[in-house]
Amino acid sequence: MKKKTTEKKGHVVAWINKAEWDQVLEYLYSKDCTLQKYALHRISAWKGRFAHNTPIAVESTADLVRCQILDKSGKLDADDLVLLYGTALMRFVNLITERQQGKIARPLRRLASNLKIPEWIVNLRHDITHRKLPTLKWCRKGCKFVLEWLQQEYWSRQLGSGLAENWDSQSEGEDGEEDLQRQEDELITRQKEIESYKKARELLISFEKEQFQTFEGFLEEDKQARLWPEPSADMSWILAQIKHFALESSEILIDALIEDGFVVPTIEQLASLSVDNSDADPTAPHLPRVVLRFWLPLLKDLNSELFIHLLLEKLFVELQQLSEDDQKHRSFYIAGWISEVILCNSNKNEYHYESKIQRKARLKDKIFMKRIQLRWQQLLAACLNAPCVATPHLLQQILEDMEHPMPLDTRQKLLRLSSIYTQGADSGCDPPMEHSGQPSGIYTLESLHERLRVQSRRQVNMMHPGTVSDSRKALPERTEDFQEHLSPDVLAERAAELRGSPWQVCTDKVQWKNYPLGKVPGQSEDPSCLMVENFSTIMVFDQQVEMENATQHNAHAGVSMPHRVTTDGLLWTHNDISKLKAGLQLF
Amino acid sequence: MLAIVSLLSVVGMGSPPYILLTKGKPLITMKVQKSLPKTKQTSKRQQCNDKWFKSNRIPQNSDSSNLSPSTAMAKLEHRASNLRKDKPNLKRLKKKAMTVSFRQVKTPAATERTPSRPLTNGGAGRPEQGSDSDESQDWSSFAESVLHQNGGGESMEGQESCVSAKAVPGRIEEEAFVHCAERDYIHNRTVLVMQQGQTLCFRGKCLLSCLYGRVEVHGFTLEEGQQSYPLFSPSSHCPLTVTALGDSPNPSKTKKAGRLEAKAIVRKYLSAETCKRLLSEVDSDSCVILLEPLDTPLTRFLNSFPDLKELFGLSSRDIRDSSAMLDTPLSGLGITPLRRTAGGMVMSQTYREALNGLVNACAEELDGCPVILVCGAKNVGKSTFNRHLINTLLNHTASVEYLECDLGQTEFTPSGCLSLSTVREPLLGPPFTHQWAPEHMIFYGQSSCETDLDRYLESLKSLWRLYNRETPIVINTMGWVKGFGFQLLVDIIRLFSISHVVQLSSGDKVMCPQLTPEFLRSSHGWQTHPPVQSALGEDNSGTHPAQRSYTLFSIHSEFEGAGRPGEMRHQRSNEQRDLALLGYFSQLQSPEPGPVRPLHCFTPYQVPHSAVAVGVTHCEVAPTHVLYTANASLVGLCCLNEKVSGRGSPVLLSQTPVCPCVGFGVLRGVDMARGLYFLVTPVAPSVLRQVNCLLLGAVTLPNTLLTGQTGILGEPPYVTMDYSFELTGAGKLHVFKGLARPGQMKNAK
Repeated sequence: MKKKTTEKKGHVVAWINKAEWDQVLEYLYSKDCTLQKYALHRISAWKGRFAHNTPIAVESTADLVRCQILDKSGKLDADDLVLLYGTALMRFVNLITERQQGKIARPLRRLASNLKIPEWIVNLRHDITHRKLPTLKWCRKGCKFVLEWLQQEYWSRQLGSGLAENWDSQSEGEDGEEDLQRQEDELITRQKEIESYKKARELLISFEKEQFQTFEGFLEEDKQARLWPEPSADMSWILAQIKHFALESSEILIDALIEDGFVVPTIEQLASLSVDNSDADPTAPHLPRVVLRFWLPLLKDLNSELFIHLLLEKLFVELQQLSEDDQKHRSFYIAGWISEVILCNSNKNEYHYESKIQRKARLKDKIFMKRIQLRWQQLLAACLNAPCVATPHLLQQILEDMEHPMPLDTRQKLLRLSSIYTQGADSGCDPPMEHSGQPSGIYTLESLHERLRVQSRRQVNMMHPGTVSDSRKALPERTEDFQEHLSPDVLAERAAELRGSPWQVCTDKVQWKNYPLGKVPGQSEDPSCLMVENFSTIMVFDQQVEMENATQHNAHAGVSMPHRVTTDGLLWTHNDISKLKAGLQLF
Repeated sequence: MLAIVSLLSVVGMGSPPYILLTKGKPLITMKVQKSLPKTKQTSKRQQCNDKWFKSNRIPQNSDSSNLSPSTAMAKLEHRASNLRKDKPNLKRLKKKAMTVSFRQVKTPAATERTPSRPLTNGGAGRPEQGSDSDESQDWSSFAESVLHQNGGGESMEGQESCVSAKAVPGRIEEEAFVHCAERDYIHNRTVLVMQQGQTLCFRGKCLLSCLYGRVEVHGFTLEEGQQSYPLFSPSSHCPLTVTALGDSPNPSKTKKAGRLEAKAIVRKYLSAETCKRLLSEVDSDSCVILLEPLDTPLTRFLNSFPDLKELFGLSSRDIRDSSAMLDTPLSGLGITPLRRTAGGMVMSQTYREALNGLVNACAEELDGCPVILVCGAKNVGKSTFNRHLINTLLNHTASVEYLECDLGQTEFTPSGCLSLSTVREPLLGPPFTHQWAPEHMIFYGQSSCETDLDRYLESLKSLWRLYNRETPIVINTMGWVKGFGFQLLVDIIRLFSISHVVQLSSGDKVMCPQLTPEFLRSSHGWQTHPPVQSALGEDNSGTHPAQRSYTLFSIHSEFEGAGRPGEMRHQRSNEQRDLALLGYFSQLQSPEPGPVRPLHCFTPYQVPHSAVAVGVTHCEVAPTHVLYTANASLVGLCCLNEKVSGRGSPVLLSQTPVCPCVGFGVLRGVDMARGLYFLVTPVAPSVLRQVNCLLLGAVTLPNTLLTGQTGILGEPPYVTMDYSFELTGAGKLHVFKGLARPGQMKNAK
């Protein structure tokens, strides 16, 4: 069973509904033997459904109630009953303590006391297994106690509280000690993570400080020479440290890096860098050059392929989280960085006409020079997972830059979809799709219908002018319909093939999609609705397997083994049996 | 029409095998006497009952100087259509006849044949023969195919590189895709040019056609002109590998003609500008394959379950080793190629030897066909070996029979079922991708046989009686090889006149003794016992038919995780069982793309209570309450010989019969008022009409089918949100194996 869905969708159980469960519970603990028997019979059907998954408590209760019924019937001797009770009690103690058992066997007494099962019950079990058999009186007493215990601990608490948990987390059998060990390990690793995270922050802050100093100095010195000075000795040392740190835990470094106040500058930081970014276009985020250059020394130092991959990945994850809680400033910068990294990787040759100096300047701003193999599919998925106003912009960058570009119309559709989703303005990538009447950029089903209608009219007009109305009519019916509609031809064909047999295709006018498996129209909610009052039994002998495909089904008719049916009981004479024996083929 | 003789071995040393093909008749392999004049050999025609034939393989000469035109004449005929009445278009070649040309080919296989056992496919099977420099062509073509099956075998790939100058052997890696693959965006398909020895290992699903040359997938050889085959490589199993075999199946062409032809094929599938790059890669001995996306009712149905969305994605191991190549021209098709770090299938030396030996055996046995039994403990790779073996045999024969004796991990049916299948199509995916209706099936009802060993054996015997003994048969056995399980294995070997036993093992732990013929002579089965040695010590073959001896192949599995149950997603046995059932019920979906319908949306069949008997195979259910078990359950659709009529009331079976089963269905509901059962099943109405018995077993419907019902009115029955597993006793019976006693722990320390 799979965790997520079962949590959402519920568990499969053997009872149709709560009413059936309640009925069985009531009957099990009633004083009336016939009702108890009825409950036992129903549990036998449950076991058929559950197969190997019958809850231990249900099985144990049924076994003990069975003993009580047989006891009350007065048909069995005391010795018989001790054996019966003995098995039921022994199984109860063994099975119920099973889950408490770890890798090393622990005494049942201790396990039982955890479960509030008194020691005398465990002793009773020990007596039954390997000592002198207990008396019937003790057995009855034990049985009564255990039934009460089961009622209290299982039946009356089940299906009431909302403590839904998974079959498997229980059935896999967890070990307490292992749990502890695991928790400890987790704690240790968490501790380590926190430590290194702190260190990452410290390193980055010292980088910022150093960089800011140089920046200020540079502002004072010479405003014309738009060049950053060579890194100072301190700076080189800090960079070396960061680089070393990144070798071990680049993931943590990136986590720290994309916190507010680092690559996403705070308002104060921006002010001190004298950047005014208030008029930036959020749909096409573009990093202020100063911010980029501020971080460039660090990024240039870390620009391994792995690091870039990880950075992009983390940025997208961050963007995804941001899109949920709407922080415009932050998402602008995150998107801006993504855009910057992808741009660095771009191999487009749109810079044909630039001068050498221009080119030099441009390359200077690049985080890395050589084009690297990005994981485009993953990027694409990540980008689509993080919808925000900048998504169409980023998407377009990715789509254009992919190693193996997607078909043009797929690209256009994707862009279109993303701009619809983010409710941005038309990204202008698909002029043929743009047409009248998109007042607010909000797309509704109607606008889709409208478009379809326009297109189909165009097509229809081209082919058969005059049938526009038909195609219009067909449109509203295109909703998802799960119901299987068999065509009259198929129905007739199936009916013909089944003719002469008791089988039929159900022709009732029933919307089967409304009825879950196990329910039919008109079925009552009463838990006793499926009871069989009259039935006949059929005895069958093993027979030769000779089914061919339907077309040749009589091919082996002659070689089948003898068989005989009797309805309602055994009715053979000695003669019959000897004939049967003679007909048996020994292999 | 003239029968055309295919002469597969031409060099007159030793006793070369000759294979004769006659149109419309079974094809034959025979040994020709050394003294027979060569001229006569070519004109010899024979009719024989042996079905063993070899139609698709084209002879190729390793040493042209030894050949004279008369002996080298070899023509091939396409397979006689009446051999496969039902599927005439299967594995048929485009070209009807080809002639041998003499070209100097030094296949990699020929240069490194020494480690493996020499083979002659035609049937001569002389171990020494293969070491001759001018050995039979046949051998090289087969041995090559077997050797190439070593998906990720480094040794193979390594040695090959020194043989062929042009070819780039081994796994196609990232940078190579740029040169050798080109995607056609309009039709959404990719043409891939592979050089001899190159492999493509992948996850996902696709449709593969071989446009030029020959490629091999899991033992099966695909040649140009054949139909396309669906390949399934889900994350739950070892990834599939496509290996280019290189040598063109048409030796009539010169190297240049071959190259031109291959190029023409590439041009046909790609537009002018896209194919340019690819054309430079094409040579006469390259392989050109076409990969297309695969969308079937099965894949659509499985994809409709949220838990199975990633089934054809990467496995956790692929991700851990980051062996996936995500950005290749193949990625849009639904497949992800894997790097060399993902091993692909690992075949041990013993594995390959066994495979070779069995293929040889099939070629040799003229009277009767080999009866191959595959056994071994759990998780040693039995079913992978079976598929590989069947695929390899299908290169040579039209069909292979398959007897399923393993109730748990069934190949063609949902579990809990024993069956006899005629396999005509290669098995290029795990079991849930080929839930094909077997010829014969018996519903047992449980995923292990220990509750009723006799019924298990009786069911198998009745299936065995239906085996026609004209085709090779592969018998798969269960992983229970201890105690009674072992005894049953002994019984099966004795009862079914096994001719070859393949015993798989892993690790150093001995799970069960070596099943040598000598050992079997003295071991006890559940039903059979060793013949009593008479006191006089005389040969008792007169009274007892002497037990037929067999050949034993021991395979030691060396793949990672051999002998241990799979732990990754979808690998657990219950998940595999659910997948098989989902695969089975996907047949209900319409073949045209459209919405995937949940099971409850189908129009059911109805049948009166009194017309079909109901039986529970795995436990005792009070008769009056039996419908509580049957409602919304999986049922086996079975056929009793007798008429079932219950005078208006339900008919119940008093014990479980051994009777034929034609398929499965879901008892969708019971109409008590009108006395009707409603059944949803993919079984054809013409077959359903014979069904008069519904059997219930311990194999239940996948839970997702019940919990995932959408669009229904009200709450689904049998599903609750409120069951608490926190409470004591709420879980199922759980057996701890190997609980250590405190004392033992001390001793261990």
